[in-house]
Amino acid sequence: MGRSLNAAIVAAGQSQYVRHPAPDQSTHTFIRDAVLALLADAQIRARDIDGMAVTSFSLAPDCAIDLAWRLGLSLKWILQDTNGGCSSMNMLGHALRGVDCGAAKNILVVAGDATGLGGYAKIAANYNCATRDYLAPLGHGGPNGVYSLVTTRQMKAFGLDKSDYGRMAIAQRTWAGLNPFAVYRTPLAMDEYLSAPMVADPLTRYDCVPVVAGAQAILVTRPDSVPNGQPPVIVRAHRASFNHDQQEGDGLKTGISTFADELWEEAGCGPADIDVGSIYDDYPAMVLAQLNDLKMIPGGDMKRYVAERIATRTMPINTWGGMMSAGQPGGPAGGLNGIAEAVLQLQGRAGERQVKGARRAVVTGYGMTVYRYGATAAAAVLERAS
Amino acid sequence: MSPGVTAFRCAGCGAIFFPRRLMCARCGGATFADARVSEGVIEEITVIRHVLGQTDWGPRRLANVRTPEGLVLTVGLRDESGPGERIALEQDGTAPFGRAVGTPAGRS
Repeated sequence: MGRSLNAAIVAAGQSQYVRHPAPDQSTHTFIRDAVLALLADAQIRARDIDGMAVTSFSLAPDCAIDLAWRLGLSLKWILQDTNGGCSSMNMLGHALRGVDCGAAKNILVVAGDATGLGGYAKIAANYNCATRDYLAPLGHGGPNGVYSLVTTRQMKAFGLDKSDYGRMAIAQRTWAGLNPFAVYRTPLAMDEYLSAPMVADPLTRYDCVPVVAGAQAILVTRPDSVPNGQPPVIVRAHRASFNHDQQEGDGLKTGISTFADELWEEAGCGPADIDVGSIYDDYPAMVLAQLNDLKMIPGGDMKRYVAERIATRTMPINTWGGMMSAGQPGGPAGGLNGIAEAVLQLQGRAGERQVKGARRAVVTGYGMTVYRYGATAAAAVLERAS
Repeated sequence: MSPGVTAFRCAGCGAIFFPRRLMCARCGGATFADARVSEGVIEEITVIRHVLGQTDWGPRRLANVRTPEGLVLTVGLRDESGPGERIALEQDGTAPFGRAVGTPAGRS
């Protein structure tokens, strides 16, 4: 994928993000708001949309076609993805191919959730059969319990301590302070991070994404027909991996490790050429795991990379604040934020948080914890068309 | 509560799995026999102290456990066993739990 595909991302829109939705707000209304923002940004009408991909854990009993109907969209290409934190990356790949092959001209890719805290807890306990039967009866507390064990393994394997993850949380909070959509924008101090209530040892409150309600949307179309005049963002390479190790590893390597070399080769660039990264941040440990799998961390020295590149923000990672500070719509919807942010950065439209001269970005998706860690992973290299 | 945890051994190649699979990830076989796994060594532990949507919650101890058969399980701990310790596995319904080897079930 990439160079040969005649498709690009050209616009982005998002709804308000809130911790506690009002009674008249729902997954559907947040998605509607994101779509309206996208249409305004793209400068197209709803009837120009002829393809739609959606992911949400709280759309049921509606499916993609119900959403299309309620949005008034008549389509010739439709997709619903249910693969958690990787869903948006999956949808992006399918949408790019859909446009390239002519199945549709303007594909709306949208992700939204408004589960509420209680609703999210129910989802977390019934995530799949293995969770329902083998984890929830233990009182595992949803993904926090799973990734607390993965985080401890990473700390042992890479010589990390809590302050390393704290530097990441603080850096992302600093970025969030520049994002008006982020739910948490107040600067975070190390003392506050380290003294936060423990949720699942060693994870404290600031290691766990705040569940929010909200939605995000992007538009995939042909790069030579960009109605809003913005520079199209080309996807130089896109790769995915599912169930790469049968859950028989330690969870410290994601599926990205299986395709990183191919990804860079196809993209025609390497980790050193990346100006901004949107790395799926369900937990700080998984950001480091993905960066390491992408070969972004020299020598695999995570501690040094955090101190010298992430904490200093000389390597801009999750510049919208990430899900850890901007919030994660309680389901798979958070995965689209990073893609949309990369688009804004590469188009030079990221406002106060704009990374000067950003031309290339790497974006990832990760998740769908089947038992001991996530089983889905994808990454893409995006580039502003010259 | 029953001693040991029921794992699933492929009738074709002998590979062992937990949780149950539909097909063997090694040979593609679809026939499995029950295999009792009785103990393992704790590699990591966590304590679940807060759960979304729960207001009346007592801390739960969970462990990542490796068994001699090569399985890695997430189990609930019935006692204060810690990393490096050998625990006896037991099954409560479908879910695996564990406690220090030699500790009778029902005591903690």
